[in-house]
Amino acid sequence: MQQLDNQEILMKLKSQKQFWDIKKKVKQGFSDQQKIGINDIQKFAQSCEIEDQLIKLISHILKKSKKRETLKEDQIEFLNTSKIKWTELLFKNLDIVHQKAKNQEEDDTNTDSKLYIYDEKNLLAFLQTFKQQQPSVLYQNVQFQSNKLLNINIPLKSSQQILDKYQYILLQEELPEEKINKIRKSIENEHLDIELEKIAQTYVPNGERCLLYLKYFEFDHQETVLQQNFAKLQKECQNQLFIDELLEIDGHEISEDTFYFVFQEQILTCLKCFIRDKSIKENIRIQLQNGMKKEHAEFQLPVAGFFPFKNISKYVAPLCYLSTKIHIIYALFKEFFCRYFCFLHAISSEYNSILSLCMQIEEIVSTRSPKLFHHLKVIGCDTLKLIIHQLIYCFVGDMDPPHILTIYDQILGHDSLEILVILCVGFLNKYKPKLLLAKNYENVQQIFQELREDKFQELVQFAYKQ
Amino acid sequence: MQNKKLKWKSDFEKSVIIENFVNRGWIKSQEKEEESTDWNVYWATVWNVRNIFNPKNGFRLNDQQIINHFPNHYELTRKDFMVKNLKRFKREQDKEVLETFNFDFLPTTYIFPGEYSLFVEEFHRNPNQTWIVKPAARSQGKGIFLLRKIQQLKKISGTTVTSNMTQLNLASKENYVVSRYIDNPLLIGGKKFDLRMYVLVTNYKPLKVWIYNKGFGRFCNEQYTTDVAEIENMFVHLTNVAIQQYSDKYSQKHGGKYSIDALKLYVESAYGTDALQRMMDDIHNIMLTSLKSVQAVIQNDKHCFEMYGYDILLDSNLKPWLIEINASPSLTTTTPVDKNLKMNLINDVYNIVLPNDDFPDNEQKCNYLFIQCIEQQPTKVGGFTLLYDESLDPNNRKTQKRQSVKIWK
Repeated sequence: MQQLDNQEILMKLKSQKQFWDIKKKVKQGFSDQQKIGINDIQKFAQSCEIEDQLIKLISHILKKSKKRETLKEDQIEFLNTSKIKWTELLFKNLDIVHQKAKNQEEDDTNTDSKLYIYDEKNLLAFLQTFKQQQPSVLYQNVQFQSNKLLNINIPLKSSQQILDKYQYILLQEELPEEKINKIRKSIENEHLDIELEKIAQTYVPNGERCLLYLKYFEFDHQETVLQQNFAKLQKECQNQLFIDELLEIDGHEISEDTFYFVFQEQILTCLKCFIRDKSIKENIRIQLQNGMKKEHAEFQLPVAGFFPFKNISKYVAPLCYLSTKIHIIYALFKEFFCRYFCFLHAISSEYNSILSLCMQIEEIVSTRSPKLFHHLKVIGCDTLKLIIHQLIYCFVGDMDPPHILTIYDQILGHDSLEILVILCVGFLNKYKPKLLLAKNYENVQQIFQELREDKFQELVQFAYKQ
Repeated sequence: MQNKKLKWKSDFEKSVIIENFVNRGWIKSQEKEEESTDWNVYWATVWNVRNIFNPKNGFRLNDQQIINHFPNHYELTRKDFMVKNLKRFKREQDKEVLETFNFDFLPTTYIFPGEYSLFVEEFHRNPNQTWIVKPAARSQGKGIFLLRKIQQLKKISGTTVTSNMTQLNLASKENYVVSRYIDNPLLIGGKKFDLRMYVLVTNYKPLKVWIYNKGFGRFCNEQYTTDVAEIENMFVHLTNVAIQQYSDKYSQKHGGKYSIDALKLYVESAYGTDALQRMMDDIHNIMLTSLKSVQAVIQNDKHCFEMYGYDILLDSNLKPWLIEINASPSLTTTTPVDKNLKMNLINDVYNIVLPNDDFPDNEQKCNYLFIQCIEQQPTKVGGFTLLYDESLDPNNRKTQKRQSVKIWK
C-alpha cells in the first residue's frame, strides 16, 4: 500500500478546493491581527469546526491514496479450489454454448435460446455442492442444520447487526422541498466521499444522482478522459468476438422490459466495451474466475477477466436513466460492477459475496420466519431458490427504476450489498401469507407471475415485520 | 351511493369500458337499436354523438344521461379546425394587453387547399425544410407522408403539381394540414417517440380540466435518421402504434410504449429537475391554451364530458410541440400494463363525472350548499389531477393559470 509523507499530503490538500476555502476562512478570522500563534489558530479552528473539516479532508486524501488490491486469494483455501473448479465448469459451458451456437447457425429450426455461460441457478447449485463435499475445516464449530441450503463456516455478521444498520430507513419520511433543496446544494458543493455516502444513505434527488455518483467515483472533472477511453473501446468492438453474440442474446430479455427496452442499443454497446476493457482486471475488487490457460486462444477468459453471465444487461439498464451520454453510463456501470456487483458472482467468504449474502438471508428467515422457512422446504421450494434471481440482479426487472436507483444509492452509501439481504427478507415476508398456502413449486411460480409492484420502502418495512 | 343500477351503452366492444361498467354494477341497456335512448351512460362514437345532437332528430338528453363527447368536439379534434381555432385565438390574444398564453407550440401549419399559396411561398423560402402532410380528419397515421418536393403533392391532388402553381385541387373532398416537420425530435436510444397524454374536460363554461398522471411514449422501432433515403420509412418517422405494429422489430410485450413516469425519471435524471419542470409546465400550457382556444366555440352541455388523447412531440431541447388532439383515443390494450392503465383511466373518468353515480345536476340542486360544494371539490381523483378550474376565480385568468399549475405541482 502506498504511504504518503506529510509533504505529499500537503500537495494533495492544495489540490482540493475545500483546503483553500478553509484557508480563506482562517485568514478572515485573523484579518486584523498582526501576530498569530499556532495555539490561536488551533483555538479558532476548533471553535468554528474547521478542525473537523480538515481532519475529514486529510482522511479522504489518505483513503484515496490507498490503492485497493483485487482480492484474488480467499482466506479459506477450499474456496480458492472451488473457484478453480467453477472456472473449469464455465469453460466447459462455453464449449457447449459454442457448439449450440454453431448448430443454430447450421439449422435455422433449432432455436434453443439458452445461449449463456451460466445463470443465477447454476451459481446457486454450485454453491450448494460445498455442503456435499464437507471438508472438515468448513464445518468446524458449525451446528449442522440440514434444513439450510448453505451452511458452512465462513465469517458472518450477526443478523441483528445488519437489521440494526438499516433500521433508520423505516423512519424516513417524505422530505419537504426546503430540505431537498438543501441536499441538492450539498451534492453540488460536497467532494468528500464520506459526506456523499451520508447523502446517499438518506435521500438522493433524481436530478442530482448522476452528479453524486460521478463525484463519488471522482469522475466529475474527467469527462474528456472518459470519452476518449470509451471511444477507444468502441473502436475495438469492430472486431467481433463470440462473446458478443452471447451479449446480443442477453440483450433480448432487456429489450422486452417496459422500462428498459428504449436503452437496448446503449446497453449492448456498454457491455461489448466492458468485456474488452483491460483496466477491469486492475480495478475490480474481487477476482471472479481463476483464469486458466487453454490450447485455443479464443477460449481464454475475456480481456476483462471473467465470463459474462446471463442477465448481465440488467446491471447496466438502470444506469441508462442517469445520462444521455453513453461514456458516462459506461463509466458508472464499470465502477458499480468493479466495486459491488462483482461480489455477487465471486466464490468468496467476503461479507459482500454471494455466499455470505445467501447465508445471511437463510439465517434471518429461518430464525424470524421459521414457519415460512420450513413450509417452503417441505413443498420443495428452498428460500434461496425463490429469491436468488432478485438477489443476484438487485431486483432489476422486479421493481420500477426509481426503486432500483434507490437500491443503488444504498449500495454506494454503505459501500455494501447488505441492503439486498434486507430487501430479500422483506420480499419473502410480503408474500408470506400466499406462500404459506402454496402446495407445490407450481403454486409458488403462479404467485410471482401475477402482476405485482414491489417497492423499496415497502420491502424494507416488511423485512422488519415478524 | 355507488352501485346504482345505471344503464350503460357502448359503441365500442372494448374490455376496459365494458369491464368498468360491469364492475360498477351497471346494467347493459337491452335496447338493441343504435338509436335506442334507454341508457344513463353512453360511451359513443363521434358519429353517433353527432346524430344524437342533430336537432332534426328531435332527441333531447334527460337529466339522467351522460355522454362522452361534446356536440362539436371536432373544433378541437379535427386537425384543420384545431389549427384554425388556435390561429384565431392567437390573433385575439395578440390584441389583449395581458399576455397570458404562449402559442409557441404549434409548428408552422397550412391548411390545404385554402392556404396552398401561402405554403408555396414558405416552401420556397426554406427549400431544405421537410414538411409533414396529414389528412385533416383521419387517424392512426393513415394518409400521412413527408414532403421534400412540391411534386410529391401529386399523392393528394391526383395530378402533377409544379412549384409555380398557386392553387391545389385535391382529388378527394377532404382537407389536409401541412406542418413543418420537427426534424430534431428528442431521441432515447436513438429512436423517435411522441407522448400520449390524457385530459378530461367536464365543462367548457366554466372550463374545468383534469390531467391524468399516467400516459406513455410511443416509440418507433427503427433508429431515427434525417437521411433523405429513409424519408418514406414510416417505421422511422411515424410513432402511431397502428403503423409500428407491422415492424419486424415490434414487441408484443411492451408494444413500443414507455410510461410517462419512466420518461419523467429519465428527463429529470439526465437533464435536471428544472428541465423536467419546464417541460411539464410547457405541456400544461399546450393543454390549457388549446382548450381555451375553443372555449367560446364548443357547445357546452351538462350531459357531456370529453376524454382527449393529446399527442405531443418533444424536440431535442425538451420543448413540447402539439401534434394533434384525439376525441376517441384508442382504448385497445396491447399489453397487461396498457390494460391496467386504461382500466384505471376509465374508472377514474367516471369517478369524476359521476361521483357516487350521482348526476351532476344533483350536486347543484342545493343552492345553499353550492359554495360549499365548490370549496370541497377535490383536486385529485385517482390518477387525475385538476389542472384548471375557471370557476375558482373567473375574473382573473392569470391567477387561475398560476393556481392550476400550482395545484398540479
